[in-house]
Amino acid sequence: MFTEDSPLFQQLADKIADDIAAGTYPEETAVPSATDFAVFFHMNPATVSKGVNLLVDLGVLYKKRGIGMFVAHGARQKLHRSRLNDFRAKYVEPLLAEAHVLGIDDEALHTMIFEKEKDQA
Amino acid sequence: MNALASAVKLHLNKREATLLVPLYITATVALISVLISLLFWRSGSQPGSAVWIESSQYNPGMLYALIGFLAYLGVQSVSTTFPFALTLGSTRRAFTGGTLLWAVITSAYLAAVFTLLTLIELATDHWFVGFYVFDVNVLGAGDIARLIPIVFLGTLTVLTLGGVFGASWVRFASRGPVVLGAGIAVIVIVALIVLIPVAASIAAAFQLWWLAVASIAIVLLSSIGTWLFLRPAIVR
Amino acid sequence: MTTAIDIQSVTRRFGRTTALSGMSFSAEAGSILGLFGRNGAGKTTIMSIIAGQDRPTSGRVEVLGREPFENESVLSQISYVRDNQRYPDDYKLHHVLRIAPDFAPNWNADVAAELVEGFRIPQKTKIKKFSRGQLSSVAIVLGIAARASVTLLDEPYLGLDITARALFHDVLIRDYAAHPRTIVLSTHLIEEAERLFDRIVIVDRGRVVVDSDRDEVPNLAFTLSGTADAVGRLVRERTVLRSNTIGGLRSVTVRGATDEALAAEARASGVQIAPASLQELVAAFGESEALAPASDSAPEAALTQNGAHS
Repeated sequence: MFTEDSPLFQQLADKIADDIAAGTYPEETAVPSATDFAVFFHMNPATVSKGVNLLVDLGVLYKKRGIGMFVAHGARQKLHRSRLNDFRAKYVEPLLAEAHVLGIDDEALHTMIFEKEKDQA
Repeated sequence: MNALASAVKLHLNKREATLLVPLYITATVALISVLISLLFWRSGSQPGSAVWIESSQYNPGMLYALIGFLAYLGVQSVSTTFPFALTLGSTRRAFTGGTLLWAVITSAYLAAVFTLLTLIELATDHWFVGFYVFDVNVLGAGDIARLIPIVFLGTLTVLTLGGVFGASWVRFASRGPVVLGAGIAVIVIVALIVLIPVAASIAAAFQLWWLAVASIAIVLLSSIGTWLFLRPAIVR
Repeated sequence: MTTAIDIQSVTRRFGRTTALSGMSFSAEAGSILGLFGRNGAGKTTIMSIIAGQDRPTSGRVEVLGREPFENESVLSQISYVRDNQRYPDDYKLHHVLRIAPDFAPNWNADVAAELVEGFRIPQKTKIKKFSRGQLSSVAIVLGIAARASVTLLDEPYLGLDITARALFHDVLIRDYAAHPRTIVLSTHLIEEAERLFDRIVIVDRGRVVVDSDRDEVPNLAFTLSGTADAVGRLVRERTVLRSNTIGGLRSVTVRGATDEALAAEARASGVQIAPASLQELVAAFGESEALAPASDSAPEAALTQNGAHS
């Protein structure tokens, strides 16, 4: 669930972001409180706050005083954009690197992608 | 002051042991006294006769039964209560003071109980049947002015003596009580050796209140001893 | 940020044994500090001193700014959950719950009740007949419901089943979030607890070997595993904390952080490389001879890391 590869607060923020992107938390609805996340993941509340604040800074969540944290309007779009930015580094580059190691040339790679897309269509 | 009060409360937390068990023991001894009296009666002795009164009053059962229990109470007031007191956050100072204060309270309680029962015994002319339960020699033979100091100081002495043994155990584990007991025995024997030549004149001049002074001295020495044992003690 | 616990060069000797040797670390108010190390490393000894139940042979310990030993006002703000707690003869659970508020000004009976129920602590049985797990449960109730400013938990999990451990974590975090306090927790169940900590301290043979923010742990050490030759080549001059060789395979835990160059080299040699988890870090120091101190003052040997933002 959680790994050593990046700071915990970052991983938590990513998890919440994933849920928002997937539609688990619709816009303008509340997400669980920091304490709820802390208890649920057995995580230090300060770490949770850091992760939540990260999303607040990104404009994905906002605080309603006395009530809790809500998914901001346009959050899915914002997340979509930042995930697009990450897509290249996270998926395309490793794909190309592995293809290179295996000796799959560009044309073979394109064919593979094309065939897969045809299957799914 | 607050810590002292908390320490006393800690000792009193075991309400049954402190308040009820002495009563159970007293009742048991009383019952036995009654049975012995019945035995006398069945074997021909007449309640109220001189022989009856004298033999009834010689019954020391009450004393021995309670001493045993009070010694246990005194020991565990330190040996098993101190580790818990430390964890709760008591200081050693407050605990020692609180233990002494608790012993005083318990002694006063027992003295009050015995006074009441003795008064009832006297008022009912020995329970309407001439049975001597509390009007016995070891308890002052019905004299309240002697009963109260005997029960109060006696209880206090036994409790605090038990406490210092408990403290020696906390500090030095099983060696503690052995060494303490040996130490006390040595002191007593040495005192006797010193005093033997003048024993006769002491016996002649003996006053009951000397016992009172002696018991107060023991109480004070025991309390100081408890403090000295507990101060450097850690519970591993 | 105020310092709730300050340990300055504490040494503790018992006769000829030295349990603590120049130990120094501190805990910020409101933080959760994890204390790790092998049995006998000194965790219980230092916690006992912090709790005011013992005193250093030399050095100084301050809790909430003052030395805790025999200090009424400080002691009333410390709660200590320890192993092997003895209770007065014939005590039952209700005796403990009745007297606890007199020593813990912030005592909360609702939290206590919730824990008693969740742990299924017997109400009618004498405590001296309790199992190991039940004893731990009682101690945890005392430790958490007290809501003490400084809460010390020395291996509180002993004997607890997994459900009880989960309950302990749930209630601890929830109550800590609602009523912040400084917590020091020592445990061997590292994976279960590792996300709780702000700061981690690893002790070995009476001194601190790691004192770091939780977030910095991945930068403190990394693991390499592969063929013995390849691993040996990658290790080079680095300090090896722990090495495990079976057949031709070797895995090591190495001090320091990985970098891109090393990662690439590892991939090229078929060696797996990863930042050390907290558990691996603790295990590495448990076996390590690398930092066996030559003298009493070797604080520079300790790994100390503070993040840019604490």
